[in-house]
Amino acid sequence: MEKSFWKTQMRPVPFLLPFFIAYMLFTIYPIFKGMQMSFFEWTLIEKKEFIGFEQYARLLTDPNFWEAFRNTTMFVIFSTPGMVILALILALLANLNTKMKTLFRGAYFLPSILSVSVISYVAIFMAQPYNGVVNNIIQMFGINVEPFWLNTPSLAWVTIIAVTLWWTVGFNMILFLTALQDIPEDLYEAAEVDGATRMNMFWSITFPQLLPIARVILLLQVLASFKVFGQILLITEGGPGTATRPMIQYIYEMGFERADLGYAAAMSYILFIVLLLLSIVQLRSGGRGGRII
Amino acid sequence: MSQKGQTLLEKKRDPFHFLKVILAFVMALIFLFPIVWMIFVSLKPEEAAAAEPLSWFLPPYTLENFIEIITGSDVFLWTWNSFIVGIMTTIVTLILTSLAAFAISKMHFTYRRFIFIFFLAGLMVPGEAMIIPLFEIVGDMNMLDTYSGLILPMVATPLGVVILKSFFDGVPNELIESAKVDGCSDWRLYWNIVLPLAKPAMAAIGILTFIASWNNFLWPYLAIVSESLYTLPVGIPAFNSAYSDTYVEPMTVNALASIPVIIAFLLFEKQIIKGVSFSGIKG
Repeated sequence: MEKSFWKTQMRPVPFLLPFFIAYMLFTIYPIFKGMQMSFFEWTLIEKKEFIGFEQYARLLTDPNFWEAFRNTTMFVIFSTPGMVILALILALLANLNTKMKTLFRGAYFLPSILSVSVISYVAIFMAQPYNGVVNNIIQMFGINVEPFWLNTPSLAWVTIIAVTLWWTVGFNMILFLTALQDIPEDLYEAAEVDGATRMNMFWSITFPQLLPIARVILLLQVLASFKVFGQILLITEGGPGTATRPMIQYIYEMGFERADLGYAAAMSYILFIVLLLLSIVQLRSGGRGGRII
Repeated sequence: MSQKGQTLLEKKRDPFHFLKVILAFVMALIFLFPIVWMIFVSLKPEEAAAAEPLSWFLPPYTLENFIEIITGSDVFLWTWNSFIVGIMTTIVTLILTSLAAFAISKMHFTYRRFIFIFFLAGLMVPGEAMIIPLFEIVGDMNMLDTYSGLILPMVATPLGVVILKSFFDGVPNELIESAKVDGCSDWRLYWNIVLPLAKPAMAAIGILTFIASWNNFLWPYLAIVSESLYTLPVGIPAFNSAYSDTYVEPMTVNALASIPVIIAFLLFEKQIIKGVSFSGIKG
């Protein structure tokens, strides 16, 4: 009996161990290592001295940190509605009954598979003043303006958000589209028998049926947008000045350009806690994990 | 299936159907425009830069830019590095996550639920907020600026375990039991029975992992020093930042980097879409 108990307990070990080791080393250990680093003065070359909560005290009074935090939050607030609503509209369009529906789906999704470096440089060159294609098109419609998209803080934000929408909205569109196609057809048939109009059907069937996935998309999107970095670094480098610099870019600059890993680790920890709280909200509301356990 | 009924209804009764199709078409044009523009610019002779938006799309065309970029830059080396890192990340991820998911789904041991929740918790750890300690850890292991340093930290994400576990749960236990009665070992159960049944899920996760690796920017940007290890997302900005007044070279590099991905997308569209919808339901 004793022996077979141990045998049962040991059997899965060779199957679990390889993933377990990678997971401990690269997902779990960094959580503790990051906390340790944030309590030290720690340069790119060496660990220096224990300074307790000093790094955290420092970030509380660092206007650059708060600006980066605000920039990231603004990005989340201004990009998220479009990221969800446009995705829904595109999904409805890609679900129309036409021979071109695969084309529509493919076109809306295609930008998502391109590298952040590619889309950023396409954006930079399209947004240039004088000979950029965006300004040329605006002028083609007879509007005689010459916006400097990347040199004006508000326009730089507009550019970043528009590019991000174009680049990543296809992902959410697919999630909505899958959910749309899962709505049972008899719901519509029953409504039709009852003489419902198309508008009625949308608001009383399609919309409520899509609400659960919309909630998942919303929360996943907020989590993803908080981690914004690549396209901003490449398109505006956080500029003009530091007007569009997000948290991860500031963490990167402090850690690797100023060689101040301890401070960068402390800021990362604040970001980690914000994201962790958001994921807990998500779990609570029955998204992702909640459904699996 | 549901969709068919719904859309039949739509066609019959929707007076705006045609307008909606037009709108969908215009949106498709807008979404494709930057990509098409990029490809046309890469085909233009250097001096042809013009202020007329239409002229970007009109002849003359040339392949000279491609020749110039291929001979004058390391774009093939970056593509090769991205490919190796992507393939290795995908293979290692699939092996590690499927082994773990098999144990959690099909073996009976007392700490099974605990282990699963422990892995599940990892979904809440955002990699981007962990790059500073990860950089130290990988540095301590002397793996910065190596292929392993690019690959291994990326295989430790539990999403694959979670998706595959729920997929393996759908494999009937009677099948497993009867194979066991026939003297089938755990390894053969995993390899010969469960894995073949999970092919669609494995394909979806594999494709998603590969795309994520192919486009990964932040980690390679930190972990690579040598130009000989540059992946595409790191090599392109290093190359393009030298140009600001001419469009042609940067767009040619962009096009060279994107054409293989676009072809792969057209070939595997179904699996890619499936992979995305998987990750949304579970992740």
